[in-house]
Amino acid sequence: MSRPGRDDAPDRLYTITGGRSGTGSDSPFDLVTLVVAESEPVPGMQSEHAAILRLAKFPTSVVEIAAELKLPVSITKVLLCDLQAAGRVSARHPYRPAITDPDILEQVLVGLRNL
Amino acid sequence: MTAPTHPGERPAPRTLVPTFALTAVVSALVVVAAVTAAPASVRAPLALGASAAALLLCAAVTWAVHAARAARGARRRLEAVSQDIGRLLQQQARTTEEARQEQQRLIDELAQQRSEFAESFEQERTRNQQDVGKELDWYRQENDRLTAELERALRERAVAIAAAGNAAGRMQALATATLADLRAMEDRHTGEDILADLLHLDHRTAQAGRLADSIAVLTGARSGRRWARPISMESILRGAMGRISGYRRVRVHSVSEIAVAGHAAEGVMHALAELLDNAANFSPPTAEVHVYVEEVPAGVIVSVEDSGLVMGDVQLRRAERAVAGDITELGGLTGTRLGLAVVGRLSRKYGLKVSFRPSARGGTGVLMLVPQDLLTRPVTDEPEPAEETEPAEPVPVAADPPPVHESAASDSAEEFEEGPTGLPRRRRGRTLAEAERRSAPPPAEPRPAPRGADAQLRAARFNSFRQAVRPPAPDSAETSAEAYGAPGEAAPHAPVPAHDPVPAPHPESGSELTSHPHAYPEGDPTS
Repeated sequence: MSRPGRDDAPDRLYTITGGRSGTGSDSPFDLVTLVVAESEPVPGMQSEHAAILRLAKFPTSVVEIAAELKLPVSITKVLLCDLQAAGRVSARHPYRPAITDPDILEQVLVGLRNL
Repeated sequence: MTAPTHPGERPAPRTLVPTFALTAVVSALVVVAAVTAAPASVRAPLALGASAAALLLCAAVTWAVHAARAARGARRRLEAVSQDIGRLLQQQARTTEEARQEQQRLIDELAQQRSEFAESFEQERTRNQQDVGKELDWYRQENDRLTAELERALRERAVAIAAAGNAAGRMQALATATLADLRAMEDRHTGEDILADLLHLDHRTAQAGRLADSIAVLTGARSGRRWARPISMESILRGAMGRISGYRRVRVHSVSEIAVAGHAAEGVMHALAELLDNAANFSPPTAEVHVYVEEVPAGVIVSVEDSGLVMGDVQLRRAERAVAGDITELGGLTGTRLGLAVVGRLSRKYGLKVSFRPSARGGTGVLMLVPQDLLTRPVTDEPEPAEETEPAEPVPVAADPPPVHESAASDSAEEFEEGPTGLPRRRRGRTLAEAERRSAPPPAEPRPAPRGADAQLRAARFNSFRQAVRPPAPDSAETSAEAYGAPGEAAPHAPVPAHDPVPAPHPESGSELTSHPHAYPEGDPTS
């Protein structure tokens, strides 16, 4: 198992979210939802919120934000929900990929195997 | 001459009568005879003369007899008086003798008594001395016994405290390791239900860890874990909140950017946790506890205000005394009221100042001053760290779950925290690394220069992708890798030397690449 590292943070996850562990099934966020900041960070803001607003100046996916913050995706979603409720970020789903034809995908697969 | 006579001793005149009569008769006979015998011619005158003579004779005889008797009486009286005197003298002598004997007797008696007294006093004294000696011996023995007992008690106390401290230290280590495990599990399990359970366990473990910390602090053992870097005030407050049961009721109002030095962070966090726990426990279960952070010239004041009970004078004085850290004894502690004593110990150790006052919210307010020498301000240095992290630019994170690197996480978090001022924070070892970078020639790195070759470009992008996944610098990543591999050796030689190989080429390559670390101009390849 992991051992306490010298760069752990003293914050526990439940203090970051106020005890919430997730946003439920009706959350507008999933792993690839793109998030865009709608405002600049303001002083006194929770540091994770400020970090998200700084990260999401350009459209950024939820999973990227979670990776940058080094937080579990569920926790990140809670933070994003808070920000969205405050109107500080907006979310949109990524455009569907242009290639949806199974044939093309199969060809890609074959090509990859031949590499 | 007549001697003084007693009336009784003077011859009574009556007694002279026979003498006088006898003399008269005799002289009358003589006169008659003489007259008869004498011629007639001379008879007349003779009779006259003889009669006169006879009268004189009678008187003389009577006087003589009287005188003789008086002399005899006087002589007798003289003898009696002499005898009286003699008797008196004898009596006096006898009395004197008796007095002398009495005196002698008394003197003897006195001397005897004195000697008796002296003797008995001597005996008494020796007896007393013996008694005192015995008592002294007894006291000495008692003293020795008590001294030995005290020493044994002290030794046992020290051993017991050391054992408790040792056990508390192991509890701490266990709790810390468990928290790290839980954090890893929280990262690994994505289900929200599982995460909720893990967070619940995390919270419980954090509280258990605080109790172990408290015992360690009270027993004087090594307190808590050490943080290798300054901890921001926000993290301090959250760390303190995370260790109490009612953390949901704590509201933090802080705009402070200040950080607490690593060596004191745990102590400040622990003291704050105890104060928050007190505030939360002694206020209604639905009331909020408000925490304000204010920077003052002497340091940072953290005030904890609740709307619960107002402390009475006696309680207030006791609390003030407890948090002043003046009481170092463990006596008077109860199992459930360790908090203020712990705060007192920590205040003494780190120079914190804790005071109480009535809160405007109706309850009690606690002010804790963290002195300036425990604080570090985010250093406003050169904007290099932005360039350092820039290899994150080309290829952003893919959809695969990022590897868990605590160190990278915290470092990037640091980068973000510095944001509001727009200025980066100095990281450990960077100055040295930079100095080495200036002196040493840049290592041959394939990534920046040969942009023409596709393979190399791809290699560079892949490299950058790796950098993006571990944003800041390889030093901390390596450190954490070492920490996972061989945790015991990780700490001493981690930070500095690992610094320069990769960050070194950045200054050259920086200009061509995007300046912002978190901007991804090439777009998201996963979309």
